[in-house]
Amino acid sequence: MKLRLKKGLYLSLFKISLFLLPGLIAQTSFAQDFMEHGDFIRGSKVWAETCSRCHNMRNAAELRDDQWVTSVFHMRVRAGLTGQETRDVLTYLQASNVKIKVKEPASSRAMVSDTANVVVASGQVIYENNCTGCHGADGKGNVPGVPDFTKKRGVLNKPDKELLSNITNGYKSSGSVLFMPPKGGNSELTPADVSSVFDYIKDAFSH
Amino acid sequence: MNSYRMLKVIVAGVVASAISVISLAEPTVQELAQRLEQMQKEMDELRQQIKNSASKEEIHQVVAEVKQMTAAVSGADEWRQSDTMVHMSGYADVGYTDTKSRGDSFNVGSFSPIFHFQYRDLVLLEAELEYEVDSNGETETNLEYLTIDWFLNDYMILLGGKFLSPIGQFRQNLHPSWINKLPSAPPGFGHDGAAPVSEMGVQLRGGFPIAGLRTNYAIYVSNGPKLNAVDEDGSMELEGIEAEGSGSDNDDEKTYGGRFSIFPVAGLELALSGATGKATVTSLVDEEAGTNEFLSNEQARDYDVFGADFSWNYRLFQLRGEFVQTKIGAASVGVSASEAATWETWYAQAAHRLGMTKWELIARYADFDSPHDSEDQRQWAFGVDYLFASNVIGKVGYELNDGLKDSDADDDRVLLQFSYGF
Repeated sequence: MKLRLKKGLYLSLFKISLFLLPGLIAQTSFAQDFMEHGDFIRGSKVWAETCSRCHNMRNAAELRDDQWVTSVFHMRVRAGLTGQETRDVLTYLQASNVKIKVKEPASSRAMVSDTANVVVASGQVIYENNCTGCHGADGKGNVPGVPDFTKKRGVLNKPDKELLSNITNGYKSSGSVLFMPPKGGNSELTPADVSSVFDYIKDAFSH
Repeated sequence: MNSYRMLKVIVAGVVASAISVISLAEPTVQELAQRLEQMQKEMDELRQQIKNSASKEEIHQVVAEVKQMTAAVSGADEWRQSDTMVHMSGYADVGYTDTKSRGDSFNVGSFSPIFHFQYRDLVLLEAELEYEVDSNGETETNLEYLTIDWFLNDYMILLGGKFLSPIGQFRQNLHPSWINKLPSAPPGFGHDGAAPVSEMGVQLRGGFPIAGLRTNYAIYVSNGPKLNAVDEDGSMELEGIEAEGSGSDNDDEKTYGGRFSIFPVAGLELALSGATGKATVTSLVDEEAGTNEFLSNEQARDYDVFGADFSWNYRLFQLRGEFVQTKIGAASVGVSASEAATWETWYAQAAHRLGMTKWELIARYADFDSPHDSEDQRQWAFGVDYLFASNVIGKVGYELNDGLKDSDADDDRVLLQFSYGF
C-alpha cells in the first residue's frame, strides 16, 4: 500500500515536472520584444513556399496589418513555422499590404531619367532578393496565379511602359486571383531599382 | 444748292446724335434711384461679409489647430499595437448532392467560425465552432477545437485543450471546405473513420531547421478515444472509434502520439505520424432492439495508429497522399469482449490549375477498409473548381463509389458546393 502511494507520488511529480520544464525553457529563451521586425526577403520566400502547401494563396491586402498578426500566429501553429519565420512572413505581408491603384503607364523614359546620379543595385540581385519567392529564379512562376515570364507570347511582350507601371504600382494578371503588390511589396525600391530589375527580367527571360 | 443740301444733312445729323447722346448719357432720376438702392444693398452685403470674415490672427489659430489634430490622428495608432488582439475567421459552405439511389437534396455543409484572441506574442486562444443542419432540419453545434497556445520560444508551442489530431494532414490542415479542393472528405477521414479527428490533452509542437532543412513536429498526450460495440445475437463486435476528443478518460489510460515532417526540397513535405495507448468500450448497442446494453468489467484494449503522408507542390501542380491505419486490440474479459479490429484508409490526390485562369481540375482515389463490409469503399472522385477569389470557391464533383452492393458506400454521387473561407 505504502509502496503504491509512493509510486503514485513519484508519477505525479514526474508529470508536473513535464509541465514545468517548458516553463523553465521559456524563461531563458522567450524574447519579450513584441513585435520584433522580421526580414522581408526571407518572409516572401517562406510565404510562397509554405502557404500554398495547404490552401490557395491569400492576398496581402485582404486583411488589415493588425489582423495579419493574429492570422500569421494562427498559421504558425498550423504550419509549424518557427518564430523567426513567423516574424519574416508578417513583415512581408504587412509591407505588401497596399491597395493597388491602377495608374496610367508612367513614361519609361521618365523613370530611367530618375536613375541619374543614383547608386543602383544590380537588376539580378534585386530580382533574387525580391521576386524569386513568387516568380522563381527561372522566371517560370513558383506559385499558382503567377505568370511564366519565359512564355513566347507571354506577359513580357507587353509595352515596356505598361510593364514598368505594373511593377511600380502593383498588378493583378487577368484570370489570376493573386495580386502583386507595388514593387513586389518592397517599398524601399527606388525608380532606378525598378528600371534595373525590369532590364534584368527582359534580358534573362524574354525571347 | 448742293452745299445748302449738304449743310441741312449735317445739321440734321448733329441734332440727331446730340439727342441720342443726351438720352443715353443722362438716365432718368428713377433709374438713378434704383442704381443707388442696388449699390446700397451691395455695400450692406459687403459690410456683413467683412464682419463675418476671420481675422488673420484667427486664421493662424485655425491652421495651428488643424495641424495639431492631424498630428494627433496620425499618431493615434495604438489600435495597431495593442497587447490584446481579437480576430475572427472561419469558413462556411452550402451545396447540393445528387445520389444515384437516394435522390437529390440541397444542403448546408457547415458554418464554422474560428475565434482568435492573442496576448502579444505570448499566448493565442483558438476556438472553432461547427454549426450543421442535419437531415431533420435540426441544428447541431460542436466545438471542433479549443486550445490555448503558449509560445514558449521560437521553436516550441505548448497548447492545451481540445485540438485537431496531428495524425496525418487532412484533419489538422485540409478539412475546411475552402481548403479541401473536393466537396467531400476522402472516405475514412471524416467523423468515425480510420483517422482520429481530435484529442483532448496537451500538445507540444513547432518547427526547427536541421542541416538547413525545415522540419515540423508535434507530440501529445491525451485522454484518447472511446469505443462503440454492437451485440449481434450474443456475438460482440467492435462498431467504431469515437476519436473526437472527449472530456473524460474512462479507463484512466492516456494516449501518446505525434507527427514529424521534413521538407527535403522546397514544396515537398514527407511525414510520419502515430499514436499509442489504450481504449475501452463505453457503448454497447443491441443491434436488433437498438437499445443500450449494460457494460461491466470492460478491459482497456490496445489502441495503435500509424500514419504517413506527403505533399508536393510544383508551380500549378499539386500532388498529395495520406495513409492511416488504426488497430484496436482484442479483449478477453468484460461484457463486450471481442476480437481485434483494424480500420485502414488512404488516398492520393492530384490538382492542376489551368494556367493563368481561375479553373482547377482535381482527381482523387481513395480506399477505405473497415471491419464492417458495409463501410468498405473504393472511390474515384473528380472535380472542377472555379476560384471566384482565393477563398471563395465553386466546386463540382463526381464520385464513382464502389462498396457493398446496395449500400450507401456503393452510391455514385454528384456534388455541388460553394465555399467561402473568411
